[in-house]
Amino acid sequence: MNAFYDGHVVIIQATFVGILLALSIQVPLRLGVFSFAGAGFYGIGAYVGGNVVIRADLQAVPAIACGAVAAAAVGLVLGLVLQRLNGLYLAMATVAFDLMIGVVAVNGGEWTGGPTGLYGILTDLTLPIILVVVGVFLVAAELSERGRAHRRIEAVREDPELAASMGIRVGAYRVVGFVVSGLAGGAAGAMNVMTRTTIGPADVGFGLVILALTMIIVGGALSWKGAVAGAILFTWLPQVLTFVGEWQELVYGCVVLLAGIFLPRGLYGLWVDTRRRLAARRRPPALSEQAHQDVPQEMTS
Amino acid sequence: MTDTSGTPLLVVDDVAVHFGGVKAVDGISFEIAEGSITGIIGPNGSGKSTLIAALTRFVPLTRGALTFDGVDLHRLRASDIARHGIARTFQTVRLLPDLTVEENVRLGADVSKDRRGAPERVASALEATGLTEVRRSYPGELSYGTQRRVEIARAVAMAPRLLLLDEPTAGMNQGERTEITGLMKQLSADGLTQLLVEHDVQMMLDACDHLVAMAAGRLITNGNPADVVRHPGVREAYLGRKWGADARA
Repeated sequence: MNAFYDGHVVIIQATFVGILLALSIQVPLRLGVFSFAGAGFYGIGAYVGGNVVIRADLQAVPAIACGAVAAAAVGLVLGLVLQRLNGLYLAMATVAFDLMIGVVAVNGGEWTGGPTGLYGILTDLTLPIILVVVGVFLVAAELSERGRAHRRIEAVREDPELAASMGIRVGAYRVVGFVVSGLAGGAAGAMNVMTRTTIGPADVGFGLVILALTMIIVGGALSWKGAVAGAILFTWLPQVLTFVGEWQELVYGCVVLLAGIFLPRGLYGLWVDTRRRLAARRRPPALSEQAHQDVPQEMTS
Repeated sequence: MTDTSGTPLLVVDDVAVHFGGVKAVDGISFEIAEGSITGIIGPNGSGKSTLIAALTRFVPLTRGALTFDGVDLHRLRASDIARHGIARTFQTVRLLPDLTVEENVRLGADVSKDRRGAPERVASALEATGLTEVRRSYPGELSYGTQRRVEIARAVAMAPRLLLLDEPTAGMNQGERTEITGLMKQLSADGLTQLLVEHDVQMMLDACDHLVAMAAGRLITNGNPADVVRHPGVREAYLGRKWGADARA
């Protein structure tokens, strides 16, 4: 076990960082907000985390907190500025934000290290610290998938007009989505820079959006369990696929394509739907429902 | 202005909603007495649903005032309307597909500050709408009529003072219509004020204490249901000028 851990410590750490990155994109999506700003928040967390370690000599936990809070503050402003945008327009605006972070990374002078980036970011970060940080986010995500919070999040995503008629302040929920996305993305970026001890513009590019989206589309967009499944799958898949050599990218692409076609709600969605179907089969048909079977089915569409 | 008796819970005063040059609602006034069932009838495009949307702040008023229990509704946000005691159902079924019937209804019960009483409100709304048996089912597993009743149960669980029902029996068979009419009367007996938009004139005559007739965004008449449906203007709006004239003769 120790030999396995020693041999895979980097990829194990990357898996947990990947979970937070996936969550940073998933949280707004669960609220029906097509925001890809999580990748930008990741960049902010990485550079802020790197700077406070280099300049203020902070250790891992306060540096992660600085990265997460800085990204959340930007998330708050971004959420307020983009409040009136929806759908593709919102997605485009957040992609533009990610690209702006990339431009700042290249042209940020001594704060970002320019095109070469920052080096020598050494801290006391250990796997238990990473586990605790990721654990805090997962517990918060689990709580948001239960009871009143879950019902309200479902309403905000599925039908904002209905949510408003149920007394829910849809705009406030969306802004909170940006802030939580900032916290998760910022913490992921800060932890990543500390595990690798370096950060550069190439590490905060648009590729992160693709990676995070792939994780949650295949894993499942509506639960943290989907984000975890996706992060594990797509962090370890390249490792598993080394035997196919140069065909790795093609196999990887095929996995994503097949998941998109056959698992539209992701692996977690498949689990939920199967469980629901089995439960419905076990339930005896309600008498009141049998009485209504003469209603034309086209009315249900 | 109207012939409703009792204290008006809702006052609709010279309300107009214009979308550019289209006058969807144009100078409507009436009152709703507490505990009554008021119906709005009118042909398609007469502005009934727009009036409901204005009452819930989904569209802005061009002119006039909507006063609910002394509160000017257009000083509130859409999300505050529910907290002031106004619940609504929609013209099309709008249930959350990944929540069970019970959870959908609980969403309505969550509106109240009384969190402890929520399970009881849900149980009572499910009981009143005959949904207790299917409470663990998902909307996709239910017939259209039952989904409609879930919508009503969700609104009832909000414990509102005014319930707005936008075509609650659309697409239902006669048996289900009768069921919904009975349910509305039961809710009214329990003291719930209701404003109902429907096309089914017979149902309106059966269910309503007061009727408002609209056409092309304007008020034709309002008052006792039997008198309103006999009004020549109402017949003309539904049947056309020729048939309306024949009816007058």
